[in-house]
Amino acid sequence: MKWALTSGFTAATCVTLAFAGVSFAAGDTIIEANVKALEPGDEVAVARIPDGIYLRSVNDPDDIIWERLPEYRMHLASAPPVHQSVELRIDEDDPGHDVYFSLARTSDRFYVRLRWRDETRDTSTLLDRFRDGAAVQFAIGGDETSYIMGSGPDEPVNIWYWRSDANKVENLAAGGPGSTTRLEEQSVSGDSRYMTGKESLANQWVVVMSRPIAAAGEHQVSLEREQVPMAFALWQGSDGQRDGLKRVSEDWILVNLAAQ
Amino acid sequence: MAVKRQLSMVMDLNKCIGCHTCTSACKLQWTNRNGREFMYWNNVETMPGTGYPRDYAEMGGGFDEEGALRLGKEPGAEDYGIPWEYNYEEALMTGTDPWLRPNVKPTWGANWDEDQGEGEYPNSYYFYLPRLCNHCENPACLAACSRNAIYKRQEDGIVLIDQERCRGYRYCVSACPYKKVYFNEEISKSEKCIFCYPRIEKGLPTACAKQCVGRIRWIGYRDDEAGPIHLLVEKYKVALPLHPEWGTKPNVFYVPPLSPPKIGEDGAPTAESRVPVDYLEGLFGDGVKAALDTLTAERQKKADGADSELMDTLIGYRHAEMFKLS
Repeated sequence: MKWALTSGFTAATCVTLAFAGVSFAAGDTIIEANVKALEPGDEVAVARIPDGIYLRSVNDPDDIIWERLPEYRMHLASAPPVHQSVELRIDEDDPGHDVYFSLARTSDRFYVRLRWRDETRDTSTLLDRFRDGAAVQFAIGGDETSYIMGSGPDEPVNIWYWRSDANKVENLAAGGPGSTTRLEEQSVSGDSRYMTGKESLANQWVVVMSRPIAAAGEHQVSLEREQVPMAFALWQGSDGQRDGLKRVSEDWILVNLAAQ
Repeated sequence: MAVKRQLSMVMDLNKCIGCHTCTSACKLQWTNRNGREFMYWNNVETMPGTGYPRDYAEMGGGFDEEGALRLGKEPGAEDYGIPWEYNYEEALMTGTDPWLRPNVKPTWGANWDEDQGEGEYPNSYYFYLPRLCNHCENPACLAACSRNAIYKRQEDGIVLIDQERCRGYRYCVSACPYKKVYFNEEISKSEKCIFCYPRIEKGLPTACAKQCVGRIRWIGYRDDEAGPIHLLVEKYKVALPLHPEWGTKPNVFYVPPLSPPKIGEDGAPTAESRVPVDYLEGLFGDGVKAALDTLTAERQKKADGADSELMDTLIGYRHAEMFKLS
C-alpha cells in the first residue's frame, strides 16, 4: 500500500499530521510528501540553505531543515554484473528498490540526504555477514562518462561511500569496474540514523553526506560547475551485497548546483 | 596461469604423526595476533573427519568441469571454532582463581574430531592430513577477486593477496574450495598462507616444513628435474594433489598413506587395506592405486637390501636434500 499526499501538502504538514497521531500505512514504501519521481537523465536543482541557517550537527540526518527541502525518488535496479563473482550471485528477479533523496547547499558546503526502506539493520562486517551501505557517485567529467564506475583512468568518477559498520563516509575514486581506490584526502563526512518507532517512519536508513564545495584534491568532483552528473547505489547487507552486487540508478541524473 | 617457476610442496602422509608442530610454527610466525587468532594457515586434520573449517569440503567453490567458477559459501565463526584462552596467570601464578578455565565456552575447534576416524575395531582407521594454501596453478581465489587484488608471483608461483587492493568482499574466501583464504574482521581484509615468502627469499624453507618433526615435507621447484618434487610428483608419481576434481591444479601434493590389512571376520588379515582405497581416491584422485603399488614395491626393495631412490628420498636423510630452493 502506498501513502500519497496531494501535492498541495508540504512536508512540514505531513510531519505535523504524524505527530498528531494520524496513522500511516506501513508497507514497502515510505512517506512520500511532495516527493518527485525522477528518471535517469533528469535535471535536479540543488536547494539552497540560506546563510545563517545551520543543521544541529554538520550531517544531522534528522534535522527539521530536511522536511522543508524538496525530496526526490529514484528507482534502483540490480547493477549490471561486470565480474563472474557478481554474475554467480545476482538475483535476476530482484524488483529493485527506491531511494529518496534531497540535495542542498550552503555557500560553502554541499549536502546529500538519502533515505530508504530497509527491514534489516545490518551494521556488522563479519566472516559471513555483510553491512548495509549507500553511495553517491559523481562523474568528474561530463555525462558521457560511464555510470558503471567510470570509463577508465581518463574518465573517472568520485564516489562517496557510506558504510554502516563504521557509520562513516569513504571518499573514493574509480576509473572503471574493479579500480575503486580510497583517496588520500578524506574530505567527505557523514552521519546516519536507522529509524525505528512509528510504523510509517520505521525501518528506514537516513544518511547524510556532505563536503565543502571547494574540491580538496585530485579525483574529487568539482562542485563549482553548473551541472554535475550524479548516480546512486545501495547495498543490502542481509542479501550478502558488496562490491558490484548492489542496486544502482540506471545512468546519471544531472545536478544543478547553480540553481537559486 | 603460467608463471616462470613454481614452488611446490610434497607431504608424505605415511610419516605424519599429527603432532601439530607445523601448525604451531605457522601460528607463532603469522597468525597468533591481530584478528588472525582463529586462522590456521597451516592445520592438521584427522581423516576421515570434518576438516577445518568444519565440513569445508561441502562448501563449494573451485571450478566446474567446463572451467567456470562454482559458487561457494563463507564459513562462519563457529565453523572455524572460536579461539579461547586460559586464565593461566590467575589460576597458576597469582592463585586468584581456583579454576583453570577457558575464557569462552568451547563448542568447536580445529581438531574437535581429532583421532576419531572411522570404522570399528579391529578395522578402525584414521590418518593425518596437513593442509595449507595449495598455491594453485589455477587459483579460484584469484579468479573470483573482482579487484585483481590476488596475484601469483612470476618467480615462484606463490599466490598472495595485495593488502592495499583488498576491500574485503570475500569472494576469494568462498571461491577457494580448500577454504584456505580467511577474512580478518579486525582489518576487513582477506589473508592467507604466504608460503613464508620472506623466508623463501632468504633461501629458507617455510616454517611448517622446517619445523616438521616427522620430516614429511619437501619443497622445491616443479621444473627442477634434479629436485625432490620432480622425483616424487613426475618421476614416481607417488605424490598426488588433494581433490584434483575441484579444478584449481594445486601445487601441494600428498603421498597417500599405506595401511595394514583389514582383518576378516575370522580374525585373519585380508587382501584389503585398512584405509579403503576408494576413500583415498575420493581425496587424491585416480592415481592412488598406482602410487600405493609403487610405494609397496619400493619399500620391499629397500627391505630386501636393494637400492631405492624413491625410498631414500622419502626417508629424508638431510634437510639440504628435502628443501631445494634455488
